[in-house]
Amino acid sequence: MTTKKWVPYAFLAVPLAMYSIWVIYPIISTFVLSFTSWDGVSPTIKFIGLKNFVELFNDPYFGVSVINNIKWLVGFAGVCVPLGLLIAMLLDQKFKGTKIYKTLIYLPMTLSFVVIGQIWCWILEPRHGAINTILNMLGLESVGWLSDPNVVTYSLIMAASWRQISYTMVIYLAGLKQVPNQLIEAAWVDGANAWKRFIHIIIPMLKPATVVAVTVSIIDSLRAFDIVYVLTRGGPFYSSSVMANYMYIQSFHNYRMGYGSAIAVIQFLITLGFILFYMRYVLKSEEER
Amino acid sequence: MKKLLLIVSLLMFALVSFGAGELVINSYMSDPAPRKVFAELVDQFREEHPDLEVTVNTFAHEDFKTLLRTWLNSPEAPDVATWFAGERMRYFASKGLLEPIGDIFEGGFEAYFPEAFRSASAYEDEIYFVPQSWYWWGVYYRKSVFEELNIQPPITWSQFVKVCEKLKENGYIPITIGTKYLWTAAGWFDSLNMRINGIDYHMDLTNGDIPYTDEGMQKVFEYWKELIENDYFIDNHTSYTWQDAANYLFTGEAGMYLMGQFIKDVAPEDVKEDLDFFRFPIIDGEIGLYEDTPIDGFMIPAKAKNKEAAKTFLKFIASKEAQQYFAEELGRLAANKNVPAPDAHAQKGLEMILESDGVMQFYDRDTNPEMAEKGMNGFVEFMVYPRRLETILKNLEMHRMRIYSE
Repeated sequence: MTTKKWVPYAFLAVPLAMYSIWVIYPIISTFVLSFTSWDGVSPTIKFIGLKNFVELFNDPYFGVSVINNIKWLVGFAGVCVPLGLLIAMLLDQKFKGTKIYKTLIYLPMTLSFVVIGQIWCWILEPRHGAINTILNMLGLESVGWLSDPNVVTYSLIMAASWRQISYTMVIYLAGLKQVPNQLIEAAWVDGANAWKRFIHIIIPMLKPATVVAVTVSIIDSLRAFDIVYVLTRGGPFYSSSVMANYMYIQSFHNYRMGYGSAIAVIQFLITLGFILFYMRYVLKSEEER
Repeated sequence: MKKLLLIVSLLMFALVSFGAGELVINSYMSDPAPRKVFAELVDQFREEHPDLEVTVNTFAHEDFKTLLRTWLNSPEAPDVATWFAGERMRYFASKGLLEPIGDIFEGGFEAYFPEAFRSASAYEDEIYFVPQSWYWWGVYYRKSVFEELNIQPPITWSQFVKVCEKLKENGYIPITIGTKYLWTAAGWFDSLNMRINGIDYHMDLTNGDIPYTDEGMQKVFEYWKELIENDYFIDNHTSYTWQDAANYLFTGEAGMYLMGQFIKDVAPEDVKEDLDFFRFPIIDGEIGLYEDTPIDGFMIPAKAKNKEAAKTFLKFIASKEAQQYFAEELGRLAANKNVPAPDAHAQKGLEMILESDGVMQFYDRDTNPEMAEKGMNGFVEFMVYPRRLETILKNLEMHRMRIYSE
């Protein structure tokens, strides 16, 4: 039986059409809009060239947003990934109750970001929230988790990490199952201690899992929105603002679709830059093997 | 016989569906009290118009503000939408997104509403907005707390500061406020600016004609600073919504809250009677008494599908009966001038306004939406970091020049 040549294309046609309408077209549209000053409401659209980008370059709040995104990036890739690995290593052993722990730690993944935001809103409440109440019981002073501009971004990262760690843990648990036990036993027989086994066998074998975990963490941190919008709206006065949140406020609260689109374009380019950089690093080290 | 029955029922069904229209109302009345009362009003309307299929979609109040813009542009626009009078409404009218509705008033707009409401409901002499209720802003306080400490409601600024000090000495939070969504800080700005610089200055400022770095503005923030540096405001107010902050007033931990009358919507039953308000303190005896009286109401998007039914609904909403019902249930003041104040509390508010020399809508309803967002962020930043005032005002001025030059 010979398959007709057009059959694969026929199968692709529908998803490709949907992808073009729902993904490709909006991306192109956003790029075009970034060169305009449109309020999202009038029928006429004015082209203003690169003025939006010039204004962005001089906008201190956008600068704050980018820096906050970098903080998120460090938090997700630098803290959530290793912690996820640590928890996965701990739970990969055989002792009673691993299943329960795995389920419990996985639970945040099942919650929507808005729900997570609301939960943490209560936990971080300055007067009656769980954390400050415990701090007070221990004789320590309350912290303005969501009201102190110096602390607020870290509070948000903490709330988001609660979920991100579940995610990286699951990735590493799956990755650890792929590490052949014979390799580890052979190393043990050869006299390698636990630390050496970890560094020289387990981590290299986990490379695919690490690539996934880090890539997802980069993308998730640079597009953070839900937690920020629900908990603080980017406040107090933009101190917890991230690019996605700033873009949303400019586009939908301030009726500046053109400016918001410019922010979206920059966010896209920054994310693309990080991913390309990371991919090149991974592919290069693959070639070196 | 059976056939006849079938034909008759089919005919009746056809008649009903031909006569039936659909009316879609989008509302931001998400707080439980107004939501319930509005639902009851709509039920009354349904009884009077059984041929109409009326759907009310309620949205969270803050989200509605961003969603409205997308509805007005879409072919699926609602037929009626709740909204605010003033610049907020005129912004859309000026872009041709609203339907003029001057023709629904028998005897004209002024037969229903005070003349003072016309400018807030119109754009270029056409009426686009039906006012339903309005409320005043005042400093709300707990009568029991004041009685316990033997405090009289202050009239002048120096008396007010003394009250704050006395509350603080006795372990109360003098002033509660929730600035998470920013506009509560604008209430303080409006009151201070109108007391110090008068209403013409305030109107010019919200129209974008006065620089934010002006000398008159400096004075406003000086007085505000006095309250901030004495720690009279509640800590961490940037993490509270206005309702969270109101809770502290209800539990008796805080003494005062500069807020609109709708604070009663969320007050628990046993506290409602203990709430009273006084006029924002007088700073300059030479300057008249001006207050914020935001007006809420309804409008019809230009892209509405069933404008006939929408206008019928607006006529119902503008009527004395409907306005009286809404006002009485919620203790607000009806826009319809033929409706008396529903209770003693509202009567007090009404008198305060009648004795005033002029009114504005509210900072974020009087000024350009983007300027409002920048301005309110500036006010909140000032409340947390008063030392940054110079930079804040400079930034606001930069934005003002950009926004009003376009």
